[in-house]
Amino acid sequence: MNIERIIDSGYYWIDDKARRTSLSLARKLSRRNFLSKLGMMLAGAAAFPLLPVSRSFAQNSIQEVGDPQSCEYWRYCAMSGSICACCGGSSTSCPPGTQPSPISWVGTCHNPVDGRDYLMSYNDCCGKSYCGRCSCHRTEGDKPVYFNSTSSTVYWCFGVEDTSYHCTVSLVLGSTDQ
Amino acid sequence: MRIITAMALGLTLASPLLFGQIAPEQISVETMPAPGTNWFISKTGGSARVFDAETGEMHGLLSLSDWTPAVTMWNPSKEFYAAESYFARGIRGERTDMVAIYDYDNLRPIAEVIIPNHMARLGVRAHLALLNNGRHLAVHNMNPGHSVTIVDVQDRVFVYEISTPGCAVNMAVGQNDFLQICGDGTLQLIQLDLSGFEQNRERSEMFFNVQEDAVFDRAAKTANGWLLLSHTGLLFEVSTDDDEILIEEAWNIPGAADIGWRPGGRGEFLSVHHDSGLLYVAMHEGGVDTHHDRGTEIWVVDLNSRRLLRRMEMESEVGTLLVTQEDNPKLLVQPFGGEGGGTQIYNALTFVLERSIQAPGAQMFEDF
Repeated sequence: MNIERIIDSGYYWIDDKARRTSLSLARKLSRRNFLSKLGMMLAGAAAFPLLPVSRSFAQNSIQEVGDPQSCEYWRYCAMSGSICACCGGSSTSCPPGTQPSPISWVGTCHNPVDGRDYLMSYNDCCGKSYCGRCSCHRTEGDKPVYFNSTSSTVYWCFGVEDTSYHCTVSLVLGSTDQ
Repeated sequence: MRIITAMALGLTLASPLLFGQIAPEQISVETMPAPGTNWFISKTGGSARVFDAETGEMHGLLSLSDWTPAVTMWNPSKEFYAAESYFARGIRGERTDMVAIYDYDNLRPIAEVIIPNHMARLGVRAHLALLNNGRHLAVHNMNPGHSVTIVDVQDRVFVYEISTPGCAVNMAVGQNDFLQICGDGTLQLIQLDLSGFEQNRERSEMFFNVQEDAVFDRAAKTANGWLLLSHTGLLFEVSTDDDEILIEEAWNIPGAADIGWRPGGRGEFLSVHHDSGLLYVAMHEGGVDTHHDRGTEIWVVDLNSRRLLRRMEMESEVGTLLVTQEDNPKLLVQPFGGEGGGTQIYNALTFVLERSIQAPGAQMFEDF
């Protein structure tokens, strides 16, 4: 019986403290201030696990050199196909009306400006006839079709409505020293 | 009126005399003569021409889809088989993959077997394989995972699709089996039953490292099995004995590594004459990652004595090559980009250039 009383009084003490603290905060702070603090706390908590990654991505933009319409451009070290930058797109964007393939092959290219190696994704732009301009075929790290994640020989127009091949872009996925 | 009628009648009767006795010619259509020695198929992006290498004459043409990987023939059935892929509106619209069957006499399609729209659509000879005495056709798929479609070309039905993750290049062996090269450095043997369904699957020991020295995804049929080739020029003779995969000890293309030469190309760049055991391979001077550089020479290697017999200097880079399987074999060479006056026909034993054939756009040859 005594134990139950002690527990009840404990609960009462916690309730009373919470009520008093709330009343005190309500007197001191506006509702907007409270919400803004709460929001900051939630956002901070959500962003916390991403900090090392976002810091490395935000560190700097990629320093560029070279002509994106030339096969010698550093990003094209494992490129195969028509360069989209010559077809109405850019080195990272597909020409109008085409569909970017979500599936790609990868390569590792050396950026001569910062001396770092970057993991590249080569995505085909699909759904139109072959562009045919600025044909480029480089084979740094290229592997045969049975090892297709790094094989440029494959038509990579998968997961799109029309699977005809138009041209290819090159996206930086990250640096290999990250 | 009587005079006009009489004149018209007279002209009609006299016309044969006026124009001599030549009967007007009637248009006709040829049918294919019986195939002769050293006939071959020259495949382009959307067609396949039939040539006689002895005379240089063209005998006819198969119309194929732009995406056809290869075309093959089974002599006893007098039929050609091609895997094809079409879009309903040319380059867009609904896609339909199929195996098309062409008759020999007219080179016209006589049957179609619709298959899953997973065909790899790459110009690779080993993406088609005829098995079981010409009954089953294996078509390679990439979606993007690897698989193989089996079609019964006798009954004209799709049998089923075999999943072959990480493995490609279909090399027919035994009665109804095929070998594949896998990314983990092994070979995979798939054995089919008489209906074309998978009965057994075996995997070899690892015999190459894809990162250090990958084996090409082009292979050459030999008398007993297949010849595989690595980027640095290592040769592997492989075969099967029922469900056992046999891989002979590797050896180098004689003399190549010493002087910095490697095999390579983007088309079919190696071929073996089965009876003599002579290998014809396109070679270039280059280092790491030059495996797609086209050959400037063709090297002839005797697989029996493992000796280099000849280095044939080419005027143009080699686009594709094939040696026919006759007693007096011909070496067919397509210079890259149509340079060099068309398809070159060499005597494959004396290495003498016999003739050039105009064959625009030739990408791959097939013997039959």
